[in-house]
Amino acid sequence: MAALALMAAARLLAHHSFAAEFDAAKRVTLKGTVTKVDWRNPHIYVYLNVKDENGAAAEWACEGGPPNVLLREGWTRTSVKEGEEVTIDGAVAKDGSKRCNSRTVILADGRKVFAGSSEDNAAGRGGKP
Amino acid sequence: MRRLKKALGSALLGALSLAVLCPASRPARAQWLNYPTKGTPRTAEGKPNLTAPTPRRPDGKPDLTGVWMGVTKYMINIAADLKPDEVPFQPWAAAEFQRRRDTESKDDPSAQCLPLSVPLRQTITSPFKVIDVAAKEEMVMLYEGSRHREIFMDGRPLPKDPEPSWYGYAVGRWEGDDLVIDSIGFNGKEWLDINGHPTTEALHVVERYHRIDFGHMSLEITIDDPKAYTRPWKVKESPRLLPDTELLEAVCENNQDPAHMVGK
Repeated sequence: MAALALMAAARLLAHHSFAAEFDAAKRVTLKGTVTKVDWRNPHIYVYLNVKDENGAAAEWACEGGPPNVLLREGWTRTSVKEGEEVTIDGAVAKDGSKRCNSRTVILADGRKVFAGSSEDNAAGRGGKP
Repeated sequence: MRRLKKALGSALLGALSLAVLCPASRPARAQWLNYPTKGTPRTAEGKPNLTAPTPRRPDGKPDLTGVWMGVTKYMINIAADLKPDEVPFQPWAAAEFQRRRDTESKDDPSAQCLPLSVPLRQTITSPFKVIDVAAKEEMVMLYEGSRHREIFMDGRPLPKDPEPSWYGYAVGRWEGDDLVIDSIGFNGKEWLDINGHPTTEALHVVERYHRIDFGHMSLEITIDDPKAYTRPWKVKESPRLLPDTELLEAVCENNQDPAHMVGK
């Protein structure tokens, strides 16, 4: 358990600058069905089929951490499965595309998965000179 | 029989509860993610003793071999522990650094999966492995997403007028119990961190590693790049050992970020 705490404390982020791509101030909550989990480097992606209030469906791509970071935190490529209903809360892409950087991914039974997002560390980074 | 079934049922429920609380039971298939490392000093409970004394080579020098994880805040800002005016930028370098901050590091070469600077390799979100090949007078450092480094310990000089490169040229020596590594011959394209502290072809990086005990290292990095900075400057970091694990593969095969990194 101590090892897991150590890994959780080292919640780590992507190599890239979060803020060049995602807007921390523009949050989105997406509720939908997982169509695909892409467990590849440098970042995993959870693809979601999201229906709006009119029933129109749109596909969103939500970026998560690097697979190896998630593995060391105990997550695997099957922690979220195709067909599952999930709720993803994250920051929206700055270029208007249907992409988000996941902050939390919550399964239908309320369990949180993939805890840890590049935004957390982006907020804590050193300031301008 | 019924009591046994009940006991088994409770045990199963307990195991399932544990599976719910802990994200996943250790995936034994994942490239030795969890595998006991030979020679690890252990407590009575069998856990790695991270404060055991530093292991030593037969010649008495510290053995730095191990899988180590750097500190993420230095990946974002190598100068995280310094005051802003403690980084002695040349004027052009200060302006370029500001431009990189103002554009949210959208031009970061590491975001293109290009090779990382020496400081970045030791601070990114994945571990590095030091292997002391004492019999061959070299140290080898392995990484998950980066090419390895060979640090030659045989007394050879650094090359004069080296071909500029991504990976540089490294030699090392012992100063007491400190491993000191000098690296030159870089191409100036790498950033020292995500925030974008610049480098040039004049970069000379000095790393001083000191293994404090089994699980802890101190690392002092000196950035000596007269074209980018008016004098050398130092930062102090503290990698920690990841016991009972190995490096994992990290192939940059699905890089979607660059197409969407618009900046501010």
